Amino acid sequence: MPISFKVPIFDVKGLDFNVSGVSILSNISLEIFEGEYIAIIGPNGGGKTTLIRILLGLEKPSAGRLKIYGKKYENFKEWHKIGYVPQRASLVDENFPATVEDIVSMGRVAKRGLFGGMSKADKRAVEDAMKKMDVLTLKDKMVGTLSGGQRQRVMIARALASHPKILILDEPNTGVDIVSQQRFYALLSKLNQEEKITILFITHDIGVIVDDIQRVFTINQKATICNNPKEAMSCEEMSSLYGLDAHLLYNHKHEH
Amino acid sequence: MFEMFEYEFMQRAFIAGLFIATLASISGTFIVLKRYSLMSETLAHSALVGVAVGLVAGFNPLWIAVLVALVSAWLMEYLRSSFSLYSDAILSIILSGSLAIAVIIVSLGGSFNNSLFSYLFGSILSVSYEDVITILVFGTLSLGFLLLFAKELYFIAYDEEVAKTSGIKVWLLNFLLVSVVAVIIALSIRVVGSLLIGALMVIPTVAALQYRVGFKKTILIALFFALFSVSFGMSISFYFSLPSGATIVLCVIALFVLSLILNRR
Repeated sequence: MPISFKVPIFDVKGLDFNVSGVSILSNISLEIFEGEYIAIIGPNGGGKTTLIRILLGLEKPSAGRLKIYGKKYENFKEWHKIGYVPQRASLVDENFPATVEDIVSMGRVAKRGLFGGMSKADKRAVEDAMKKMDVLTLKDKMVGTLSGGQRQRVMIARALASHPKILILDEPNTGVDIVSQQRFYALLSKLNQEEKITILFITHDIGVIVDDIQRVFTINQKATICNNPKEAMSCEEMSSLYGLDAHLLYNHKHEH
Repeated sequence: MFEMFEYEFMQRAFIAGLFIATLASISGTFIVLKRYSLMSETLAHSALVGVAVGLVAGFNPLWIAVLVALVSAWLMEYLRSSFSLYSDAILSIILSGSLAIAVIIVSLGGSFNNSLFSYLFGSILSVSYEDVITILVFGTLSLGFLLLFAKELYFIAYDEEVAKTSGIKVWLLNFLLVSVVAVIIALSIRVVGSLLIGALMVIPTVAALQYRVGFKKTILIALFFALFSVSFGMSISFYFSLPSGATIVLCVIALFVLSLILNRR
C-alpha cells in the first residue's frame, strides 16, 4: 500500500455483502488513492463486479464502511468525479438512435442544469474527450455501425467527458478484438500517466497486469492486495485463485 | 379541402389532435427506447376504467381516466420494483384486469354503449371545448416535463445504470415519465380511442428508427409522422364518416411500411 497522507478516493473497511444469506463479499478492506492504476482479478462469481457496483453506489453493502473522498457514500454527491464503463459497454443495441457525439454528450448531462443546453464548456469537454479517445472523426456516425473497439473507445470518451478523477471499467475488453485490446491498454496507460486519472478495472487479461499495473486486488469473496503485481502472477497465487486453469494460462502467457 | 374547418367541432378536434400527436410521439420515443411499448396499451385500457366510472357516475370521463391511468402507472412501477415479477407479465395482468373491470362497469350501467364506443375508437365529433382546455393544460405540463428532462430521459433509456452512477435521479425520472405517459394516454382517448392510442405512441418512433439517424432527428421524424397521420386521418374521418382513431392509426402504419421499404438493408 503506498504511504500517503491524502484522503483516499475510496476507503473501504470490513465490507460485507450478502444475498439471501449467502456471502458474496466478506470483510473487504482497501483504499484507492488518486493517480493509482489498479487491476481487479479473480474467478467468475468471486465478487469483482459486486465490489465495483458497491463502490459506484449501485448496491448497498450489508455491513462495513465505505467512504468516497472522505464522505460516507450516502452523503457523496459529486458522482461526476467517477467515470464508469460497464462490462457490456461495447455490446450496444444497433438500432438505438445515437451518434457518437450523442453518446459522448451523455457524459455532460449530470453537469448541465435543469434548463441547461450544451454550453461552450460542455461542447469543448465532449470534443476533448472524443479527441483523447481518437473518435472525433467518427462523431456523426451511428454508434451501432462501429466496431467493438471503436464502441469501447466511445464509451470511455463518454466517461471522460465529465472530467472524472477516477475511471472504473468492468471487463472493458468484452467483445473487442486483440489489436483493439492492445490499443486500449496503451490508451489507459496514457490517461493514467498524462491525464493523472486514477484507473480501476476488472480484467481476465492477466498478461497485461505485469506490464503496467501498480497494484492488483485479487477478489474471491475476500480481498488480497498485491502492491507488487508480479507477486500476483506467481503460480501459487494464481492457482489458489483460479484453480488449475489459471496455472495453464500463466504458462501460456510466458511461452509467447 | 378546408371547408371542414368551417365546423367548430373540427377546429376543436384538430387543435386537440395535433397537440396529442406532439405529446404521443415525443413521449413515445422514450417509451419505445426503454422497451416499454406494451405499457401504453396497458395504460390505455386502465384509462377505460376511468371512462366507464365517469360515464356511470356522471363526472367528466376524461378527468377520471387521467386519475385511473395515473394510479395504474404507479401500481405498475411499484410491482416492477418491489416484486420479482416479469415486467411484461405485470403489464398483461393490469391490462386484462382493467378491461374486465371496465366491461363490468359498462354492463352494470347499460345505457351508454354509444358514448363508450367513441372512447374505444376515437371520435372527432365528441371533442368538447372543455376537453380541449383539459388537453391543453395537462398536455402543456407534460410537454414541459418531456422537454426539460429530455437529455436525462435519453441517457436513462440508453443505459440506466451508468445514468444512475453519474448522479441522475433515475427512479424519480422513471416515475415521472410513466406518470406523464399515463396523463397523455388518458388525454388522447377522446380523439384516438383507448384501443388505438398505443399505436400513435409507438409506431411513429418505430418508423423514424428505420432512418438510422441521431436522437434529435429521430424525434423530429416521429413528430412529423404523428402530425401528418393525425391531420390526414382526421380529414379522412370527416369526409368518409369513419372513426378518427382507426383512420389515424392506418395512416401511421402506412408511413411505417413506407419507411421500412425505403430503408431496407
